[in-house]
Amino acid sequence: MLSALLVVLGFFAGLLGALTGIGGGILLSPILALHFGIPIRQAIGTSLVAVITTSAASSSVHLQRHTTDIRLGMTLELATALGAAVTAYLVGYFNRNWLEGIFAGFLLYSSITILWRGGKVKNEELPAQNGGETVIPPYEPERYPLGLAASLLAGGLSGLLGIGGGPIKVPVMYLFMNVPLMVATATSNFMIGVTAAASAVVYYRRGDILVELAAPLAVGVFLGSLLGARMAPRIQTKYVVYLLVAIMLYLAGHLCVHLLTGGTA
Amino acid sequence: MSELREPAFDRVVALVLRVGAFSCFFVMLAGLLIGLFGYGRIAAELERAGVLLMLATPVVRVLVAGILFLRERDWKYGAISFGVLTILLLGGLFGIGEH
Repeated sequence: MLSALLVVLGFFAGLLGALTGIGGGILLSPILALHFGIPIRQAIGTSLVAVITTSAASSSVHLQRHTTDIRLGMTLELATALGAAVTAYLVGYFNRNWLEGIFAGFLLYSSITILWRGGKVKNEELPAQNGGETVIPPYEPERYPLGLAASLLAGGLSGLLGIGGGPIKVPVMYLFMNVPLMVATATSNFMIGVTAAASAVVYYRRGDILVELAAPLAVGVFLGSLLGARMAPRIQTKYVVYLLVAIMLYLAGHLCVHLLTGGTA
Repeated sequence: MSELREPAFDRVVALVLRVGAFSCFFVMLAGLLIGLFGYGRIAAELERAGVLLMLATPVVRVLVAGILFLRERDWKYGAISFGVLTILLLGGLFGIGEH
């Protein structure tokens, strides 16, 4: 019965993730920690598997549309993978309260930035169409040192909290590296799998991926994000975003209460 | 230099990701279903295989892209790919140890 519950949880996290463009991984770890009694480090390791699954499935779609810059992605992955592996290793020495506190802070920060932008999270812009084919204007990525530094930070955050780091990479590529928004989004998505894998191998070797929980979660997330990707163009996602923010704020609050009461609530 | 118009390259990398995601999904699903019928040990092995397959997919993706770059005689990006691969493999080595 636990497995069935986890499939359902993964399904809704994947659905919300695909509908809003915010990875569902941000919800999975705190829910596992607060409602399933899993220590936060194992919760993070376990949801990393679902994060890789989503990235693999969605970036294969982007690749077929030829909107991913593999060269740029591979270069920045040097930094994201390094950052992710290092923080994943360091997390082994963190105490549980720090991790829960950082996670609550990150949930709060993400909620506020989404509300600030008026609930707009999708970074997709409509591609120019030319006989059904996507047309991308020619461009040349610039300011690689800045991009690599931002990628190191995004990777570090990913290894620490088990999230993708898209909200850091997409704006940096788009605003500072002269990369079209559509390419930046696809390339960020492409990088998430390798970034998450770099930290996931460290979590796995340490025994922080609970396989019996990761499998049903990943199955649910896979199905949920497939459905979400199909539904996304047809429904008004603004209200879904507010639902996601409400859940994130609730989880941040619950994590704080959990911290203050020493894990009894 | 950034070239987006390399349909064959994109297609091969997309194929690696799709095969990885779908095979991992079906292996894990099989594990869950077998678990329903009480074959706990086989179910657990299948679930573990699914998770390992998922962790391996991005590693294979980097390896395949690296080989494709080398075949194009694009040494710079071939080297970058193998750099990423090294970080991934080192992460696995340094993850050992109890904390």
